[in-house]
Amino acid sequence: MQIRALLNRRALGASLLFLVCAFATGCNGGTVDDHALKRDAEKVASLATEGGLLANDMSKGASTKYFARVHAKELSQAASDLADALRSRPTSPGIEPDVRKLSRLAGRVSALLEQLHLHPTDRARAERLEKPLSDRADDADELSK
Amino acid sequence: MKVFNIALGILAAIGGFVDIGDLVFNVSAGATFGYQLLWVVVIGVIGIIVYSEMCGRVAAVSGKAVFDAVRERLGFRTGLAALISAQVVNLMTLTAEIGGVAICLQLLSGLPYRWLILFAGVVLMVVVWTTSFDWIERIFGYGGLCLLVFAVAAVKLHPTWSAVGHGFLPHMDTESPLLYAYFAVGLLGAAMTPYEVYFYSSGAVEEQWGPKDLGLNKANAMIGYGLGGFLSFALMIVGGSLFLDKGIEPEFLGSIALGAEVPLGQIGLLLALVGILFAVGGAAIDTLFSGAYNMAQYLGWEWGRYRHPSGAPRFTLTWIVLLVLGLGAVMTGVDPVQLTEYAVIFSAVALPLTYVPILLVANDRTYMREYANGRVANVFGLVYLVVILIISITAVPLMILTNVGQN
Repeated sequence: MQIRALLNRRALGASLLFLVCAFATGCNGGTVDDHALKRDAEKVASLATEGGLLANDMSKGASTKYFARVHAKELSQAASDLADALRSRPTSPGIEPDVRKLSRLAGRVSALLEQLHLHPTDRARAERLEKPLSDRADDADELSK
Repeated sequence: MKVFNIALGILAAIGGFVDIGDLVFNVSAGATFGYQLLWVVVIGVIGIIVYSEMCGRVAAVSGKAVFDAVRERLGFRTGLAALISAQVVNLMTLTAEIGGVAICLQLLSGLPYRWLILFAGVVLMVVVWTTSFDWIERIFGYGGLCLLVFAVAAVKLHPTWSAVGHGFLPHMDTESPLLYAYFAVGLLGAAMTPYEVYFYSSGAVEEQWGPKDLGLNKANAMIGYGLGGFLSFALMIVGGSLFLDKGIEPEFLGSIALGAEVPLGQIGLLLALVGILFAVGGAAIDTLFSGAYNMAQYLGWEWGRYRHPSGAPRFTLTWIVLLVLGLGAVMTGVDPVQLTEYAVIFSAVALPLTYVPILLVANDRTYMREYANGRVANVFGLVYLVVILIISITAVPLMILTNVGQN
């Protein structure tokens, strides 16, 4: 009976706690502070670097048309969402220029990835896009430091 | 034909052990901590083998699946709490898996995502309605073996093998111990997801295992989940070799497939996508059946895929309702990858509700006669019960403290 009671209480408590936590952790807004800026800069760098990898494969003919098109769109959309979020969220004093810069950078990364999405079989274009994606990743890395 | 007899274990492992949650957690763990968390996968694999063998043995000897034991051992009220938590996790996981199937089909075909969700739902419905249990196991279990391409990819990425070997020894070399703990708990929770044992034990009853099949049960548990563990190692090594140094945080199923495309080109990409499709599709069927099994066993209904749908109407209606609910949920636009992380953490919280009754029944000599747990099984069972309790208690606080692994 003790085991039953313990498990029963645990189950109910855990369910309630989980729901509260899901709401608490699910909120992605709030003020952009130093820590959030660093995290978002790392995300932009990650998206640009992954886009660069995809572009490299596309330029070698190592990807498929549909995969390149769909995955490039996923990455582009994520970068675009990040740019919008950075533009609209309130910012801690003193870091506004960096946040604006990162927002513009995320927008540029999104635009480059959109090119991959729109031209999934254009190997020459994919090759040309590799360098700018890599450069944008470096720029975002700088902002994350 | 002997080789086909382990299809249940392979389907349970491919569909359960390497579902969308494991794909995401393993590759992300590799991309964040390199090979440092390989040892956690070993712990998880042994744990799921121990408890799957136990519940397969209970099913073979007593003809009772997990939720029969839950109702009998925990009583109606606590059993109801276990049922509700199991069904919530099942539905979340099912939703994530259906979304995963649609994403995979989209990466293969380029067609619109929402149409592919409906297509995935219809195909799942037709497959479950028309295909025998044996063939479901074979098609999805063996189709999922295409995921072995990640083992080839891991080798082709030339990881530092000494570092890989070091990863099998517990150690922590990081400035983010909470994040490390979050991934460790997530990997263990994903490895020991309850629906795996619901499906496995019910499948054993469906296949009418008896005491003569106890060797087959051991082989299924060890080979099936051993294979799942091997694939988890490969995924983590790919994450560590390809993504860690480049600072890439893999957030999409496409990122995981890229892990095979970069070292192996188009053929690697296609095998990875087909493997993911079958694994995630198999997991959708696992969760669909698990939900219907749990409900039917708890309420004492007729159940089983070996019966004609009209011979077990409430069981059939339950999986149809679950499928429709899952489809409705994924059509709202929820992100399947994010949803699966919540499902893994919530299932970690509910782990004791599944595993305590299994251990109790496996020790009950009135049910199990001479097949009750021996000393070795009990030592492992108790040690893992402690591990499960730790996972269960720490999962939610770690999820909050790390912002679902984001910090």
